[in-house]
Amino acid sequence: MRATVYSGRNTVQVENVPDPKILNDRDAIVKITSTAICGSDLHLYDGYVPTVKRGDIFGHEFMGEVVETGRGVSNLAVGDRVVVPFPIACGNCWQCEHEMYSLCENSNPNAGIAEKFFGHPTCGIFGYSHITGGYAGGQAEYARVPFADVGPIKIEDDLTDEQVLFLSDIFPTGYMGADFCDIKGGEVIAVFGAGPVGQFAIASAVLLGAERVIAIDQYDYRLQMALNKAGATDVIDFSEDADIVEQLKVLTGGRGPDAVIDAVGMEAAHGHGALHAVERVKQANRLESDRGHALRDAILACRPGGIVSVIGVYGGLMDKFPTGAFMNKGLTMKTGQCHVHRYLRPLYEHIRAGDIDPSFVVTHRLGLDLAPDAYETFKHKQDECMKVVLKP
Amino acid sequence: MKKAAVTVHRSREEVQRLWESSEHRPEYVQGTDAAVTFKDAPGDRGTEIHVDLEGATSRGKLGEVVGKLTGSEPLAKVKDDLRRFKQSVETGVIPRSEGSPEGELAERKLKQRPAQPLDESELDKAGVR
Repeated sequence: MRATVYSGRNTVQVENVPDPKILNDRDAIVKITSTAICGSDLHLYDGYVPTVKRGDIFGHEFMGEVVETGRGVSNLAVGDRVVVPFPIACGNCWQCEHEMYSLCENSNPNAGIAEKFFGHPTCGIFGYSHITGGYAGGQAEYARVPFADVGPIKIEDDLTDEQVLFLSDIFPTGYMGADFCDIKGGEVIAVFGAGPVGQFAIASAVLLGAERVIAIDQYDYRLQMALNKAGATDVIDFSEDADIVEQLKVLTGGRGPDAVIDAVGMEAAHGHGALHAVERVKQANRLESDRGHALRDAILACRPGGIVSVIGVYGGLMDKFPTGAFMNKGLTMKTGQCHVHRYLRPLYEHIRAGDIDPSFVVTHRLGLDLAPDAYETFKHKQDECMKVVLKP
Repeated sequence: MKKAAVTVHRSREEVQRLWESSEHRPEYVQGTDAAVTFKDAPGDRGTEIHVDLEGATSRGKLGEVVGKLTGSEPLAKVKDDLRRFKQSVETGVIPRSEGSPEGELAERKLKQRPAQPLDESELDKAGVR
């Protein structure tokens, strides 16, 4: 089959590789009809996530048709149309039973590697380095789906691929970021990063009843989408004024947002500032894996007693974490890879009911063979790129 | 540190029974004279299995052969056994990835396969069928 394979920093190639086979009774094989490139794939592509190997197949946002099932998979049949959650979860361990699927205790066969980096293993993830298991990803013609009796959701409506594909990751991830904010009605929520996850965090905060949602980014086209499609009420363009914290204060009558969502993660950009230059150099030389502007500003901007919701991906260590602000302001931080399985059904129902059409983020549609160009376009935000869908 | 522990989401009676069963028996640990204890975990968490290699003299025939072949250290092999026991008891399978097709294996930590499907000969070698 054809698959998107990592071949060194800033390079992917589409190559011929063996077709996947069932390796366990609870596996299924899915013929992929649509797959997307995620912002977190860029962290791998850019070489900032440890344990990525040449030859790894990338991709953790995918859907398609079941073509084979293992003996232990009775809920799916050949021909079923499914969306596959990016975390691989067994459904049996204590964490899964408590709906913390991305913390599955069993699905990562590289637990020993993960323990070295994080103290404990977390779940396996498709196409996302060897710390998260070394699973082949879904930017390919086929994928093997472990624990297929637990993860994939069957799509039985005539919704298009683009309307349901993002149930695999970015819609639930954005939704979890908003869910963390304890929205009861009347809150002001600030969302750092108006990329695809940020757009869904904004849309979800609106769905959950936030009164105002402030989008923060440095690209006007992304802020326009936040305003016009996702439902943001205000925007901050930090390419015009880099002092995000002061602007948030002014927008909130001096209080600060009740909760802030970091939808940026480890490769935060910043329009200005000597600290960014220092961090850029440190990260490029692998002295620090995580650039922290967004998270620092989020902590400084948040209302005392508020919530910092971190759904942007971090991979290792960051310098100058503002512990003083975090502690003295009495903030709560909630974070994690998304527990996608927990949100699949309710978010699918929102899509079916017409509350949201997630396809609004798609700007680029390409054949799988053009994956190398697609990575470059997405990385450099050329051609107002927001979200790329690849068709194998 | 010559100790390792894992918590299995099952009752102590069940864990102790499966520990001795032919289906789930942890071969490496049982090939040693390590001290193994079972404790009720707090709350609803199941059962803790503690393995203490302190004072374990023999690693048994299987342990010796495995150790010679791989040069792996006993504690790492014990941890593999504990994880695989937990996995097979809780999920019914040993999760396998393309990078670690044999499932959790200390020797694989530094020798990961690329995360792409195995060809026919590799499938046989990894003992997948």
